[in-house]
Amino acid sequence: MTEQRNPMRDRPDTEPDILQQEKKAVEELIAIRTITAENTAFFRTEGGFVRMEYTNPDGEVRTYPRISVHRCFPFSDPTHFISIREPEADGREIGLVEDLNDLPAEMRAMLEEQMALRYFTPKIQKVHSVKEEYGYAYWDVTTDRGACRFTVRMAGGGNVYAIGPNRYLVNDIDGNRFEIPDLYKLSAKEIKMLDLFI
Amino acid sequence: MNLCFTLPDEVAGLIKPLRKGKPLLYCVPYDLDDDGGMCTDGWIAVTEDTLFILKGGAIKHQAELSRFDQILCTPQVDSGVLAARREGEDTYLCRFSMRHIIRISYVARGASLFCQGEHRLVESREREKICPRCGRVLPGTSLCPRCSGGRGRTFRRFWDLCSRYTLPLLTLTVIMAVMSGISVFQQYVQRRFIDEVLVPAEGTLADVGAFFGITLVLVLVSLGLWITNALWSNSLGTRISRDLRARTFYKINGLSMSFINSRQSGELMNRVVEDASRVREFMEQAFAEMFSQIFIMFGALIAMFVMNWKLALLGLAFAPVGMVMVRLFRKYEHRLWRQRWRMEDKVNDRLQDVISGIRVVKSFGQEERESARFKEYTDRLMKITRRNEVFWATLYAAVTLFLTSGTLLVIYFGGGDVLRGQMTPGELVQFLAYTNMLYGPLQFVSRLPRMLMRLNTALERIYDILDEDEQLAEADGAVDKELEGQVTFDNVTFGYKSYEPVLDHISLTVRPGEMIGLVGPSGAGKSTFINLLMRLYEVDDGEIRVDGVPLPQLSQGCLHRQSGVVLQETFLFSGTVFDNIRFARPDAPAREVIQAAKMANAHEFITKLPDGYDTYVGERGYTLSGGERQRVAIARAILHNPRLLILDEATSSLDTETEYQIQEALGRLTHGRTTFAIAHRLSTLREADRIVVIDKHRIAEVGTHNELMRKKGIYYGLVMAQLEMHKVRGA
Repeated sequence: MTEQRNPMRDRPDTEPDILQQEKKAVEELIAIRTITAENTAFFRTEGGFVRMEYTNPDGEVRTYPRISVHRCFPFSDPTHFISIREPEADGREIGLVEDLNDLPAEMRAMLEEQMALRYFTPKIQKVHSVKEEYGYAYWDVTTDRGACRFTVRMAGGGNVYAIGPNRYLVNDIDGNRFEIPDLYKLSAKEIKMLDLFI
Repeated sequence: MNLCFTLPDEVAGLIKPLRKGKPLLYCVPYDLDDDGGMCTDGWIAVTEDTLFILKGGAIKHQAELSRFDQILCTPQVDSGVLAARREGEDTYLCRFSMRHIIRISYVARGASLFCQGEHRLVESREREKICPRCGRVLPGTSLCPRCSGGRGRTFRRFWDLCSRYTLPLLTLTVIMAVMSGISVFQQYVQRRFIDEVLVPAEGTLADVGAFFGITLVLVLVSLGLWITNALWSNSLGTRISRDLRARTFYKINGLSMSFINSRQSGELMNRVVEDASRVREFMEQAFAEMFSQIFIMFGALIAMFVMNWKLALLGLAFAPVGMVMVRLFRKYEHRLWRQRWRMEDKVNDRLQDVISGIRVVKSFGQEERESARFKEYTDRLMKITRRNEVFWATLYAAVTLFLTSGTLLVIYFGGGDVLRGQMTPGELVQFLAYTNMLYGPLQFVSRLPRMLMRLNTALERIYDILDEDEQLAEADGAVDKELEGQVTFDNVTFGYKSYEPVLDHISLTVRPGEMIGLVGPSGAGKSTFINLLMRLYEVDDGEIRVDGVPLPQLSQGCLHRQSGVVLQETFLFSGTVFDNIRFARPDAPAREVIQAAKMANAHEFITKLPDGYDTYVGERGYTLSGGERQRVAIARAILHNPRLLILDEATSSLDTETEYQIQEALGRLTHGRTTFAIAHRLSTLREADRIVVIDKHRIAEVGTHNELMRKKGIYYGLVMAQLEMHKVRGA
């Protein structure tokens, strides 16, 4: 390196500091922090969300006024690997619950409430009619969340797709998704109505 | 998009006393109860100081907006939650499905303004998805397919395509009418031949010769007409499909990025290529025959009824059965076609997917698996195709059987008539000929629905694109002028989905000729900033102005002609290096191109290529390295000589030395023009007049390098970290 004056040289004390910080940030990013009843407490807030106090491995206690609860495997394994996160769009993961059943009932209930608030993918139980007009299919169904009518774009396909054997998701024009948990649990008549999509 | 619905009377009455005479400024429905069940009786209503959540005829929440900092619409999985925030603590208000999320996100934005004491209304430029009159989906247009046309629509569209070619169409029709006339007349000649020459056995060879002559002339004339007809309808079909293809392609170019992103690229390709071909096929096959068949049918029918109406009825007895069958199966046919095309689309998509990702597939050794998957798709396509063909063969055979049974009846009863002397043999032969002539057109007519179906489906898919309104349409009287390069972002908010802002209240004024460095973590919205400036997307709220003119009022040509973009992922079109550099100025002289290439440090490597500037690059051409491509792109921008220059990680694929050289060149290029440069390597930005740090969707810091270093904020941290990294790597 040349003997040019370099901003770093003026503040030799800051060098390791920054590098250290970066390293620590990386460490923090890659570490899996497990949430257990020992290191965490949840509280229902007046506003209807959940506040969290978490003691990290260094013994520091952090409070999060609201948490967001995400499933890592919402379709294939909804009760394992629950990611507890800061609620902002670019929020980070606070920690991971490996198995919901390991938590005490009360904690578990709070997480389940928050997940119920987050996840909304109605399961189609009965198909009443699928009517096609001008390139759109109008579905009339009963789901586990109640009766529902929605609309699927026909052109191009890809709006009904398999996520497992006989398990399908349907995208409607608004961006809602509806699940068909098992195609063959529907009647032959209903399956026939879905012929065009599957 | 409507943000102020009218409340049902009983709910309106409920909040009337509470809103103290203040009008409802926003009022939108929501559709989920707290447990996530569907409901239809939820409303969110906002006056300038209060937000009401109404459910099932009761008030669930009443929030005084001045007590809160913000109203948040947070997207969840396939749904959203509305909450009010006060000193970092959130209160749940209601939840809703994706059907209402866009509306509610705008209302939340509007209510948040009231929280902050800002009395301004937000409005949504987004289009309604549902026709307010009939509840059908609006396919990306402002016109409802039902309310604005209905059934005859496809054919009106078809006519719309043909109308440019009225004269050839008219001529074709006349030719076909003459052809059918000749076919009918020919049978008449034949009857006279049998009855007057053959049966009485009185004719002379001269008579035979005369009939021979007449028939020969008729045959030759109709052959000539037939050839003309075929040629003309062929060229007509080709021209119409060319028009369609050009229009679709033009339209795709003009559509917003959000529309293009919402469709798979294989699908768009298919529509330009395949669907337009289907229209051509229809023109060639069906159109050429359609009129002549119909003319022949009517000619023969009239002749038959004039000759012997009873026999005519017998001959036609079974035809209705066949026709009814065809009608009955029409819906099923439509399904079959749809299924087949859907599968074809899928196969194409799959193919495109794998071929574009072939490096990944190969390097992970997954060729076998991918082949197997592709085979599964083609197998399914085969099955569908085979099933369709079997269906067609069966239906077709059955229909033919019904149609031809009429001939048998005519032979039986007509033969009797001849024996009883009520009919001459010639007449019977003529009659039989007409009956047979009828079946061709009848079968054709029975195939017609299938052809029309194909046409209809193809047109539907093409018009799905053609009917899409251009979202980024220019205002009338868009300004076209020489730009100076002043750029203003005025409170700009934008998200690719309007409920997930990527840029949030961005305000920035850039002087003409200023160089701005955009810095920030990936995903912070730097590239979005550029996309908005290039008007690839429309802002959700706020305004971008160039030289004081709002972007929508600036002609797109004007904007794009005077701006130059160098992207990280440089796209070279199929063509020579020379053409690629001249992309924006196709008439630039070679000297200037070389000068630009020299400035971009590209001349050296280009002249080393065996074909020099004539080297063919692009999809099937010579492969340039990432750095070489970037240099070509920089040369392109230099030659373009724009007022606004945008460098999005323009030098990221270059080694340090080359980067330094290019920096020098770019320094010259950026001098005196407004420049926006995005870079991860911060050293690239040392020439910048101001650095803008974007973090968490907002402008976090603005200032010169020195100012920001003194401030010891985010920028300082980034610079220090990079210096350390370099040091570590260098050591």
